[in-house]
Amino acid sequence: MTLTLTVDGERWRRHLLEVVGRNPGIVPVAKGNGYGFGVGRLARRTQWLSEHLEPSAPPVDLLAVGTYSEVADVATRFHGDVLVLTPWRPRGAAEDAPSTVAARLVHTVSRLDDLVELTDRDPGARFVLEQLTSMRRHGMTRRELEEAVGVVAQRRLRGLVGVAQHLPLRAGSHVGEVTRLLNDVVATGATTRTVLVSHLTPDELARLRASHPDFTIRPRIGTDLWLGDRGALRVTATVLDVHALERGETFGYRGRSAPKGGHLVVVSGGTAHGIGLEAPTGDQSLRSRAATIARGGLDAVGFVRSPFSLDGKQRLFAEPPHMQASMLFLPQGARVPQVGEDVEVRVRFTATHFDRVDVK
Amino acid sequence: MSSPRKTTPSPISSPTAPLTVRTISTQEHRDFVESRPWASFLQTPAWAEVKPEWRAESVGWSRDGVLCGAGLVLLRQLPKVKRYLAYLPEGPVIDWDDPDLGAWLTPLTAHLRARGAFAVRMGPPVVTRRWSAEQVKAGIADDSVRRLGDVPPSERSQTGARVVSQLHELGWRPQAVEGGFAAGQPQFNFQIPLVDGDGSPRSEDDVLKGMNQLWRRNIKKAAKAGVEVTRGSHADLAAFHDLYAHTAERDHFTPRPRSYFETMYDALNGEADDRLTLWLAHHEDDLVAATISIRVGTHSWYSYGASSTEKREVRGSNAVQWEMIRDALRSGAHVYDLRGITETLDPDDPHMGLIQFKVGTGGEAVEYAGEWDLALNKPLYKAFELYLRRRSS
Repeated sequence: MTLTLTVDGERWRRHLLEVVGRNPGIVPVAKGNGYGFGVGRLARRTQWLSEHLEPSAPPVDLLAVGTYSEVADVATRFHGDVLVLTPWRPRGAAEDAPSTVAARLVHTVSRLDDLVELTDRDPGARFVLEQLTSMRRHGMTRRELEEAVGVVAQRRLRGLVGVAQHLPLRAGSHVGEVTRLLNDVVATGATTRTVLVSHLTPDELARLRASHPDFTIRPRIGTDLWLGDRGALRVTATVLDVHALERGETFGYRGRSAPKGGHLVVVSGGTAHGIGLEAPTGDQSLRSRAATIARGGLDAVGFVRSPFSLDGKQRLFAEPPHMQASMLFLPQGARVPQVGEDVEVRVRFTATHFDRVDVK
Repeated sequence: MSSPRKTTPSPISSPTAPLTVRTISTQEHRDFVESRPWASFLQTPAWAEVKPEWRAESVGWSRDGVLCGAGLVLLRQLPKVKRYLAYLPEGPVIDWDDPDLGAWLTPLTAHLRARGAFAVRMGPPVVTRRWSAEQVKAGIADDSVRRLGDVPPSERSQTGARVVSQLHELGWRPQAVEGGFAAGQPQFNFQIPLVDGDGSPRSEDDVLKGMNQLWRRNIKKAAKAGVEVTRGSHADLAAFHDLYAHTAERDHFTPRPRSYFETMYDALNGEADDRLTLWLAHHEDDLVAATISIRVGTHSWYSYGASSTEKREVRGSNAVQWEMIRDALRSGAHVYDLRGITETLDPDDPHMGLIQFKVGTGGEAVEYAGEWDLALNKPLYKAFELYLRRRSS
């Protein structure tokens, strides 16, 4: 009676090793809902990866989490260092991390004041300095970075691990922007030549490494690592109940009436799992906006397309999903499933909470 | 502990007045260049005489009435409109270490805009990367290396990187250089440092030791064969040009006319004694090699060269190069500059012969910040780019 993520373990592990092999120096990312797997499982898997590398490959010695409160979930399962992607701030969050892990933590520092404050508290703290990218979320401009590098030199800080860049998702190439950012690193007089960077294609990474052979460019990868081989992942719900429905009959929380005859199929998986909650895709194309409007229209007059498929056909929600179950409408003529059958579900992994994850 | 913000170097802002730019006289310009350790010869006022197809103007930066920077601006008119591309080759001569380059460049571009410029192009004389001869040689030998940039540099210059960062921030755009030889000045050059890291002059022996075996052997061979290298005069330009035209035919490049070298000779030497030197290498009565070197302050360039097809075995080219290097050392130069190389390290590239010749002298490959454009009138600048593209295709 559950929403289940079933993983073809052998295929998944093969894919993970491939991605790690293709991306030497990789920093796996395990944050949020752990891409559906859970942060703890990804930490364990990262440990496994670090033990199954080609002998000549650079070590997988750093795992990135999103927030300080996620540190505890990974620290006991992965034995290397833990990078926190959310920038350190002088209050609150950092204290969510267990003190026993302090020596293995790598902070992200995105403001000069924070660097001063952090190293006032702990002169030995390890950190990356985040550069402001065209995303303009967190990070330091070239001049701010130069001042921070000045602080590092003046305080003789030994904790500088590298610089970090968080790039926007983009259709075009990142090479120009990263080239400028790397030049900015040189311009600040920083001695570090290690750069942690997200969202580069393998081709972009190869080009940047070729043009900057004296730099160590470490790709931070989450989605393409854990979810890169969708064929290894299968999400299923269970048929909980099936009821025949006459035209005009009422049903559901809201007492809707059926526009035509068919079956009501009750399946596991609801809003508590993230079903029916739409995470914005950021897709701004005319087509996708038109689709959104069309869905809204359907909602007004009748049924909305659900992520559940029966016999390969996506079925309509009979009414908005409930907390842990959803009601689908099956029109006359379609095969009626048995209670207990599996139903395929399409989900956004980063916004879904599974009841069970089965790695076969 | 005091706050580190107070002790970290903050951008140096002028303690006094802002910088202003005005047209300066040839004499002021010349005096300013002389007062500096060195400047590119393309930034001397004399260079304007060598480029009669461009209009020229000397500009100077002043702060509190004191001249502290200068540039030679070449102005080329756009077809049909009274608007100009303002070009400062390998310049201007300003304090490129200043963390506030905007303070220098903004008054320059305002001045040039008022003079009718639709765009400004310049080539900051600032090194961004260096590679030792050994690194270049290893790169040539390595099949996976195609370009100089694929080899880790021995140095990335903070000053150079800071200039590049600031130019981007100030809206300047780097000119695409495919392979290194663009329309403008080469971005990659080969140079022999003539002083040590601490600034003390190197000995002839030391420089010779830095050369590869082939170079040393050829220099010795030339001496043994009795090749004699002498300084030429204006009258010898004819002999130089005959040999140069012969070389052009053999090596398939378009020679410049003799008048070009005569103008250059007169202009540069008219500005300062021995700024330009003509070198002749004779074997018995035959001219086997001839070159032109230029020196401004502590920087010495190998500029043009010619060699005979006959008597290659007496190694006139090596002899004349060695004499130019020795002369640069004697005159207190810090750098002997063999000028442009392409970025390629591909053994199949036709430019490889030239690179290997230069690399054999020891020294280092250097990358400059390259040429940058600032569009002052965007539609005209676009039209200009289009015009250039049409002309080159």
